[in-house]
Amino acid sequence: MLLHKKLCKRLILLFMTFWLSGCAPVTENNLIEEISPVTFLSISKGDKGKLKVSTIMPPLSKENKFVMSQEVSLLKEGVQKYNFNFYQEIKSGQMRMLVISDELGKDGIMSIINVLLTDPDISPRIYLVLVKGNFDEYLESQLDKDENFDYSFYRMLKHYEEKNQGELTVVNLHQFKHLLYTPYSDPFLPVFKIEEDGVNYEGTALFKDDKLVETISSLDERIFQLINNDHYLKVLPIPEFEIVLGHVRSKIIVDIDSSYSTMTYTVNIDTRIEEYRGEKQLFDPQQLENMKKDIETHLEKQTYELVKKMQELKVDPLQLGIQTKRPFSKPMEEKKWIEMFEKMDIKIKYNINIDPLTDANSKRPNL
Amino acid sequence: MMMGTHQLFKKNETYNGLYAMLLVNRLQMLYFFLIMPNILINPYMIWVLIAVGLLSQLNLLLLSKWLLTRLSSNGYNGFVQLFGKKLVRFLSFIGLFFILLKISVITLGFSEIVQTFILPSTDTNFLVFFILLLCFYVAGRGVEHTIRFVLISFFCTFWMITFFVFFVFPPIAQLSDLYPLIPMEWKVENWKAVFLILSSYSGPEFLVFLGPWLKTNNKTFRYLSYGNALTVVEYVFLFIASLFYFGSNFLSKTQYPIINMGRYLQNPVFERIDIMMLSFLLFNLVFAVSLFLLLFYGASKIAFGKMSKPTSGKGLLFSVFLIFIGMVLVNELFWKSWEKQNFLLNLQIIAGSISYFLVPLVIVLVMKKEGVKKHAST
Amino acid sequence: MFWKKKQIESKLVTQSIAESELSIEALKKSLTQMDDAEFVEIDISDIRKIHLVYIRTLIDQENLNESIIKPLTNCSKPSIQDCIVNSSIIPNHIFIEAKTKLFSGSVLLFDSSQNLWLAVPLKNPTGRAIETSETETILFGAKDSFSEQVEQNITLIRRRLPIHELKTEKFTVGSMSKTSVVLMYIEGLTNPEFVSTVKEKISEINFDLFFDSSQVAAFLEEHQNSIFPQFQQTDRPDVVAYSLGIGKITLLVDNTPFALVAPITFFHLFQSPEDYINRWVVASFLRIIRYVCFILSVALIPVYVALTTHHYQMIPIQTLLVLVESRSKLPFTPFWEAFIMLIFIEIIKEASLRMPTKTGQTLGVIGGIVIGQAAVEAGFASKVLIVMVGISTIASFLIPNYLMTKANSLIQLMLLVFSSLLGIIGIALGSIAILAHLNSMSSIKQPYLSPVSPFFGKDWVDLFIRGPLVKMLERPEHLKPLKLKRYKTRR
Repeated sequence: MLLHKKLCKRLILLFMTFWLSGCAPVTENNLIEEISPVTFLSISKGDKGKLKVSTIMPPLSKENKFVMSQEVSLLKEGVQKYNFNFYQEIKSGQMRMLVISDELGKDGIMSIINVLLTDPDISPRIYLVLVKGNFDEYLESQLDKDENFDYSFYRMLKHYEEKNQGELTVVNLHQFKHLLYTPYSDPFLPVFKIEEDGVNYEGTALFKDDKLVETISSLDERIFQLINNDHYLKVLPIPEFEIVLGHVRSKIIVDIDSSYSTMTYTVNIDTRIEEYRGEKQLFDPQQLENMKKDIETHLEKQTYELVKKMQELKVDPLQLGIQTKRPFSKPMEEKKWIEMFEKMDIKIKYNINIDPLTDANSKRPNL
Repeated sequence: MMMGTHQLFKKNETYNGLYAMLLVNRLQMLYFFLIMPNILINPYMIWVLIAVGLLSQLNLLLLSKWLLTRLSSNGYNGFVQLFGKKLVRFLSFIGLFFILLKISVITLGFSEIVQTFILPSTDTNFLVFFILLLCFYVAGRGVEHTIRFVLISFFCTFWMITFFVFFVFPPIAQLSDLYPLIPMEWKVENWKAVFLILSSYSGPEFLVFLGPWLKTNNKTFRYLSYGNALTVVEYVFLFIASLFYFGSNFLSKTQYPIINMGRYLQNPVFERIDIMMLSFLLFNLVFAVSLFLLLFYGASKIAFGKMSKPTSGKGLLFSVFLIFIGMVLVNELFWKSWEKQNFLLNLQIIAGSISYFLVPLVIVLVMKKEGVKKHAST
Repeated sequence: MFWKKKQIESKLVTQSIAESELSIEALKKSLTQMDDAEFVEIDISDIRKIHLVYIRTLIDQENLNESIIKPLTNCSKPSIQDCIVNSSIIPNHIFIEAKTKLFSGSVLLFDSSQNLWLAVPLKNPTGRAIETSETETILFGAKDSFSEQVEQNITLIRRRLPIHELKTEKFTVGSMSKTSVVLMYIEGLTNPEFVSTVKEKISEINFDLFFDSSQVAAFLEEHQNSIFPQFQQTDRPDVVAYSLGIGKITLLVDNTPFALVAPITFFHLFQSPEDYINRWVVASFLRIIRYVCFILSVALIPVYVALTTHHYQMIPIQTLLVLVESRSKLPFTPFWEAFIMLIFIEIIKEASLRMPTKTGQTLGVIGGIVIGQAAVEAGFASKVLIVMVGISTIASFLIPNYLMTKANSLIQLMLLVFSSLLGIIGIALGSIAILAHLNSMSSIKQPYLSPVSPFFGKDWVDLFIRGPLVKMLERPEHLKPLKLKRYKTRR
């Protein structure tokens, strides 16, 4: 009997604490079969300053998929509207990509980035991608052909992100935010172009703060990969000399003089010749040396133009400003740096080291 | 469950320097280190971290002096001998508030992090209830077992710091993120940061009351210093890693920098490392809160003059219940609104600094006055 | 209150019998309605009659003729004690002692001319031969195991530890079963604290029937309500000998092949005798695998439930695709799905133990098909869960200690409930509770989680790994042996 009473008392105490704590254990209903964790959102400009948010539904199961779009003024409002239109609740915890249209990019994407940053569900590893053309239409057309278009696209980005494959620019939310919020640097994003045959990688989009200002492509893009993003390129074709350099690795040395008026930008490159269709006898050391010189001057010219373009646009995706930071002095203000950067005399220097040719090429008849 | 609770404060075993070291270290790694980079911001605060660490070393020296006396191993009676009965009662009454504040801040802070990152729609009161219930269970095993729990808490939490090695290597780490290394100007907010650091080093002062269970000898100070040094290394390492990851410009904008860094890590099996990290941090929290619960119960017995009565599980339950009610009130009145939470945080920052500074200092001063001699126990 | 009185009464009754005088009549009176109690008279000469009293089923009848009746009939010496080799006099004719001897398999002899009572132990040796251990099977290493006879078991241990310091102390427990319990330890090595603790506990035992060593253990344990065993039960003499050698005590209980070894720690439950036979790297690897499997068997399904009900963010997208696919048509939530499957697995496990071997095969087939295939096709469980249940069940069998295997399922169910409530945080809360419980436990007053908590750094060489034997020069410190070093100190 005594035990009974004691137990009763304890239970009452327990219940009282429960009652005092104000609520029952409410957790979010995240049963995986009852939710739709969207894998990507595509955001483009809608009418009257609104955003057009679209995605493929349902994101995971193999039911009939369809493209869902909403015109909203706020991003999260779009997610809410999806919920009203679809039997499963939309969750953002599995978001992998954010596809932004280039028109929106030109207007600035700061607010979108901030939305993503404040949501603790969204991983800082989601990929940001800029798209030229109507992505929604493309998605519609892909639904019948390729069921898992979003997933394959994600896998592609993931593939090139890991281990620096040296082909595409891949930027995730954290990297973009980091470049956006740290002084002396501007973010960049990969650009994909919608064409009839599919989504093609075009190049890298340069941002001034959060606004798209320029897209660089072809050789400029290759150089950008080489000197900034990956410091590695699988192949670097230079059509002017009918040559393809392979496995290009670069090391950069930046030197600013004390008055911040000239900057020497040295690029050391290690590479080997992958393909050559020209007339030069590359087995001859002298000829190879000439070839090297030619490539060096060519690249120097190209890079100079690229950097010049950046100077004119006042964007600094190469984070050159960081070089001005010193351990024992107060960092200069960002504005001042940009002014200086504009006027700065930048010297580009390339040192190329080409591995001697292997005997695979020696079978050529003219030898 | 109630078995053995009647001898909560029994003393069968004493624990050697290793335990003292781990106690110091784990009590310093409670909650503040999770938000610290957010307030430190500037790279040159690394030096402040180290300097305050040295200061804390000094405190530990005083502490070890007290622990070496015979009085400390007498527990309550030792304090009575030192201060007199009335003063001890008064001091333990004040101590109740310090403990309550400390428990509230670390538990509520942790629950809020859990709510933000893991269970967004769960009321923090409910989490607090669960945590306290568990702490009651752990504390109910007695002081001895709770002190021993520090080992489990250490083994379950310490290795997590190795995750952050990822951040101190390129491409994330750029040395320029650590510039400027010396302060060019000193803002008012920096003082807050200094006190925050001081307060986060606090915690070992509670070892004063664990004298009866600690085996002290002339190596004690060395072990205490090891614990403190470990904390300094951990703080500096985490701060540098967060500087590399966020850059000092963004640090002030992120509320829970350490957890946010955890979110960036990816494991092929579990993608959100932060959820795992928080679950493991719970071990340390439960250990610390249980220890504080026992201290709270002991202090309340002293404060209300119930020393002669035997300890009971019911009494402990009652004090847990009191703490729970107090914490729910604090949560509703202060923690849930941002400005008031800041007030509470500042209060704990100040209270922590004061208690860490004054407790060993006062005790040693009184000891000097009373002429208490050291005894070298082996 | 009632029961105390009864106790006193029963004590009084036994006292009165104990005091009564030993005589044939008294024995006859107390052995009424016993078919196998035999009273035989043998005439040696005209004047001498020898009474034999024995329990037929307890003694060796062939031996009776050989070693008692033949010598007696040919006996010419004045005292029959000289004719029979291993007889002992029952002093003072104490009835209760005579009866105890009688029931432990002795033949009582009464020489009426000399008014002398003798007892000759003639226990029936029928029992199992020494066989291979079935609960702790190993591939390499000694194959013998204990049997039900305590004497034989002692022999097996003594053969491995032929030293005079190995002490055996005998106790009798059980007011009805009179089970003899033998406490073994090595004097001068084993901490006397252990011995005195166990002796004290044994003397406090007040119960009637003991048929198994685990029942004895139940009276010696300090934490009755815990699911973790505080005594290691083993039927391998080599394990026992090794344990004795590093400073533990052993209890042998008559009529059970399982010896009790104590003090043990949580980590002893993961040590297999084969660890000390394999090469140390391999053994360490296997031991780590065992720990991993314990965690898997306890936490895998709770984690699955936590992820699928609370933390979809944690699942990599590739896995999530598979999970959603397999869960989309199920009627139950992950918790109920897992709960039902786990209970089902327990049923199959239990059934396969009770079934005879031949039907056991059918059970395996039915269990396999029902779980593996039908449950998925009928839409009761997802394929992923079936795989996980399989993994966790197999993993639970890797733990060498059988009692621990049983405790596993309970921990798993507890964590399952926690995980469905609060997800990963719930699992963390549950594991803290378990660790706190383990931390506060003890086995014959020695901490259950040592050498981790309290910390004994040197003992880690034989904890999660099994270090090379040549490096294990000291006995485990946490057992507080009186001699720490395992080697002879050189002069």
